[in-house]
This record gives sequence, C-alpha cells and structure tokens, in this order.
Amino acid sequence: MKIAVCVKQVPDSETRITLAAPGPELDRSGFTRVLNPYDAFAVEEAVRIKERLGADCEITAVTIGSDRAVETLKKDCLAVGCDRAIRVNEPALENAEPLQTAKVLAAVLRRGAYDLILTGKQAIDDDSAQVGPMLAELLDCSQATVVTKLELGEGVFTATCEIEGGAAVVRGSLPAVVTCQKGLNEPRLPSLPNIMKAGMKPQETLTCADLGLEIPAARTRVTTYSPPPPRAACRMVAADDPAAAARELARLLRDEAKVI
Amino acid sequence: MPNIAVYIEQSGGTAKKVAWQMTAEARRLVDRTGGEVWAVVLGDAAGAAEAGRHGAHRVFTASGDAFARYDAETWTRALAAFVAARRPDLLLVGATATGKDFAPRLAARLDAACVSDCVGLDFDGGFRLRRPIFAGKCYAEVAVEAPVAVAGVRPNAFPLFAGGGADAPAESFDPGLGGFAPHAAVVETLTSAEKKIELTEAEVIVSGGRGLKEAANYQLIETLAAAMGAAAGASRAIVDAGWVPHSHQVGQTGKTVSPKLYVAVGISGAIQHLAGMSSSKCIVAINKDPNAPIFKAADYGIAADLFEVVPALRDAIAALD
Ligand SMILES: Cc1cc2nc3c(=O)[nH]c(=O)nc-3n(C[C@H](O)[C@H](O)[C@H](O)COP(=O)(O)OP(=O)(O)OC[C@H]3O[C@@H](n4cnc5c(N)ncnc54)[C@H](O)[C@@H]3O)c2cc1C
Repeated sequence: MKIAVCVKQVPDSETRITLAAPGPELDRSGFTRVLNPYDAFAVEEAVRIKERLGADCEITAVTIGSDRAVETLKKDCLAVGCDRAIRVNEPALENAEPLQTAKVLAAVLRRGAYDLILTGKQAIDDDSAQVGPMLAELLDCSQATVVTKLELGEGVFTATCEIEGGAAVVRGSLPAVVTCQKGLNEPRLPSLPNIMKAGMKPQETLTCADLGLEIPAARTRVTTYSPPPPRAACRMVAADDPAAAARELARLLRDEAKVI
Repeated sequence: MPNIAVYIEQSGGTAKKVAWQMTAEARRLVDRTGGEVWAVVLGDAAGAAEAGRHGAHRVFTASGDAFARYDAETWTRALAAFVAARRPDLLLVGATATGKDFAPRLAARLDAACVSDCVGLDFDGGFRLRRPIFAGKCYAEVAVEAPVAVAGVRPNAFPLFAGGGADAPAESFDPGLGGFAPHAAVVETLTSAEKKIELTEAEVIVSGGRGLKEAANYQLIETLAAAMGAAAGASRAIVDAGWVPHSHQVGQTGKTVSPKLYVAVGISGAIQHLAGMSSSKCIVAINKDPNAPIFKAADYGIAADLFEVVPALRDAIAALD
C-alpha cells in the first residue's frame, strides 16, 4: 500500500491578527508556524495503517512550502513515521488559493500510484476545507471528508464522516482522498532520537517546472483584509444576588438584545 | 446582470434553512443589479415548491434514481451539467456537511473560483464575497476573477426573504449521468438517538467549560439549553477530558458558530475558543473570575458562581412570558 499525506504549515492557533485598518495586505511575518493540527490526524492515521500492514506500506508526506516548511516535514512527518517527503518550493504559490494548491498536489500525486491520500479536513489559516475534495476530482477517485473512523479492505475503504447531528458511513473503492477530523486518532509526539534520524530519510524538493506544470492561475483575489466588526463593551449585570442577576439578564436578553 | 443559482439542499422532503437564506440574499442582490435567482434541486423536488416565496425567479430540477443516496461525484456531475447548460455566474451552496463535501469538487471540475463559508455577498461588475479567515480573527473580501464561481454560504449569515415573492416556474434539466457509477457513496446515516439541535444551525447555543468541575455537571448546560431551545456546546478542555464528544466542541479546532445568542458558562475565553464563536450576534458570559478574557468578547456578563446563576437563569427564562 502506498499512502500520501498532504500537509500544510500554518500559523499556530495562538496567533493574533493585528490589523489597524482594512487593507490589501496581511502582515504574516511574525507568525509562529506549525503543522496544521488536522494534518496531524492524517499523519498519525497513515503511521497506524503502516504499523498494521508492516513493511508492505510506504508513506510519503507532501507539502507545498518555502524552506520554512522543511522543519515541519522533518519533525512532524518523518520523525513520527513517514518514510519520505516531497516539497514543492514555488514562491509564487505562497498563500495560494486551494484550487492552485490542489492542481500542484495532484501533479505530484500522479507521479506515484497512491492507494490512499490523507489530509486534514481544513487548514486553520484560510479555513477553506477545499483541497481534499478538489484533489479527489482532479485524480478522479473516491472521497470521504471530515472522517472520524477509517477502515481499509482489499481495494476498498469504509469511512465514518461527521455530519449534522450524526455520522454518515461512506464506502468506496481505493484510491481515495480522505480528510481527517479530530476523533480519528490521538497523534503521537516525535521522540528526540527520531527527530535526529528523520534527517536521513529521503526528501525531494521540486518546482512546478520539474512537474511539467505551469504555475496554475488564481481564480480569486483577496482585495481587503479587515478586522472583525468591533463589539461594544460588556455590560456587567450586578451579581450580588444570583437569582436577581439571572432575572435581570433574562429581561435584557428579551427586551434589549431581543434574542430570546 | 448576474444570474445566481442556489443549490437547494433538502432533508426529509424539506429544504434546509440555509437554502432559503441564500435565495433571499441572492434576490436582494439581483433586485439591485438585475439578473435572476435560480433554485436548483436534485432528486425529490417536494421541498422546492416554496422557492418562489423565498426569492427565486425560477426552479430547475433533475430527478432520477441516482439521487436516492448522496455521493459527491454524482452531485458534482449533475450540478456541473446544470452550470454548463445554463451558465449562471455564481452558484451558492450552503456550508453544511454535504455542501462542504461536494462544492470544492464541483469547483475543481468546472475550473471555477471557489470561496468557502461566505457571510457577505456583493457585486460591482464582479462578485465580491466576504468571509472569515483564521477562524474569525480576520475577514477577507474576495474578488472573483473567473467566469463562474462556487461559493459556500454559512448558515444564519443572511435573513429570509421578506419581499413576498411570486410562484417560480419549474423546469427540469438533464443531469448528464447516463450510466455513471460513483467510486464511493454514503451507505448508511447514523443519527444520534436523542434529537439534538445541530450546533452550526442553532439560533441559540449554551456552552460549558472546565468551570463545571466534573462531567456530571454538564447536565446543567443541557437543562439550560433545553429551556432556551438551544444547542449545547463545549470548550475543548471538557472535550479533551472526555466529558462530551468532540462534536460539541466550539472553537478553532471545533465548530465555528454564529448564533443569535451564545451563552458561555465557566469558559475562560481562550483565543482558540473565541475564534469559533466571536461572530455570534449576542454573547453572554457567566464566569466567577471578573478578569476572565471571555468578558472582553461578551455583550452581557455575570461575574458569579455558575452553580448559582445557571439554575436561576433557567428559572428566570421559564418565567418570562
Ligand atoms: C491547537 C489548539 C487548538 C485549540 N482549539 C480549541 C477549540 O477549538 N476550542 C476551545 O474551546 N479551545 C481550544 N483550545 C484550547 C484553549 O487554549 C483552552 O485551553 C480551552 O478553551 C480552555 O477551556 P475552558 O475555558 O473550558 O477552561 P479554562 O481555561 O480552565 O477556564 C475555566 C473557566 O471557568 C471559570 N470557573 C471555574 N469555576 C467556576 C464557577 N464555579 N463558576 C463560574 N466560573 C467558573 C474559571 O474562572 C475559568 O475562567 C485549543 C488549543 C490549542 C493549542
């Protein structure tokens, strides 16, 4: 079995976005970058499958990113059990839209006959949740999104997907693109010796030209980044007597805020 | 003059609320710019009868056995066939589990612009879509630079149509599926035994955090939620502690919600939690620490012991007439 895990390096969830005024640029220079938390579930799932199947399984981590992303590939992918890594280094794809990303990833994935392509259900920076289904279309294969349980059989898979108020069970043939959700597994942390050894695993760096691909054109453009609408200061309800405070709050919610 | 198609997702023979929120917003837009709103229905068209009342000018339907159970590939092909035949400038899809599953696939097939989770829709010769990024810490205005765009729309972002629309004529279209067999499909749907209100669709949410002290006390949240007709949510701290399933988690790595009213109980207001709920219209915080960051995000606050305030609030709400 050949597994590809598509990962992205993103600003850490503690990141504060400071925007004095709306404008066409977002200053991303000070961000601390980490593996997208949902991609960690994808990496972990691949490693668990490999642990079940033994040597007959190879995991390739794939990313599009600048030199900054090398550390994430090494520490969060190779050091926890991926066998090799491919990075597409193309400055024009910095902050690419999902369809550009998916086209380039698809070009990488077409070079190997992968049975299973795992990725996170969304990246926590642009929150688009698009790359997985786009990849499945470009590769003309099965998809299952927001997956909390995955079972593999002979050329087939069964995935439990989170939906409103429950779950949907998706069954289909491999190859498949599966986007991973919290609950699928508990990602392990890399050990120090494994981080040291990770540097020895094969790592390939490509450009779009190497893939025989022109840099895909964007179909959208962000014209303005703006801060969230400001909120008025919190109105504190006097709390000396909890019952009176609760009554006052209920009244405010009904008569002033008009939300109940 | 843009024509806007709206995919009408149905569940159990009725259209989802977000579908009519989209037809409404699209109608308000084309009433300014010219153009039409087209409701597009796959499978059983029962839920589409009211499309005109919700702002649509026309209804397009495709029926057949292929739509008996959902799969992303069939939906993608059918809607791609519709777009090829009718050439709408924009196709709106609700940001539901199903919508998020197929919309990007459809965009890839059409080589279209694709914008997720929109909360604002405008047109000035080209579409401009507004959406939260970084889980709501920032908003992006996105210009479409392609002949066609697929846009996901967040539930509850837009009000329903109040303009009293007329009956919309319906016609069928050919989904072009002739013998198509998908690689994968939904074979079973599991719904939790109790009929719970879905967080992302709820108008009111009551969430609890570590301030509840132990799992059994989450029942305080459920009781208050029931009294308010609300969905019950949670901070990650109590999800990780195993008190409630992950499907309850609100925040950057949980659900992003924007209800009319969000009540945070015993939640400190960590940046990752705020990210998931700060676009709620009205936020109430109940926390015994008057310096908890949640109060900075809230509209109304009570700085007191939740074990005293929550039962009292339930009674006070029940007592409202
Ligand atoms: C990558 C990453 C992703 C994350 N994603 C999320 C996410 O999606 N959602 C999320 O919620 N968190 C997320 N977190 C975790 C987040 O940083 C916080 O740890 C978490 O939100 C804290 O939960 P809490 O507010 O319930 O607990 P605490 O921070 O422990 O706060 C408990 C609060 O209860 C109050 N309290 C205690 N007793 C009482 C009482 N008797 N009456 C009233 N108030 C009381 C306290 O004053 C305190 O403010 C994430 C963290 C990381 C690193």
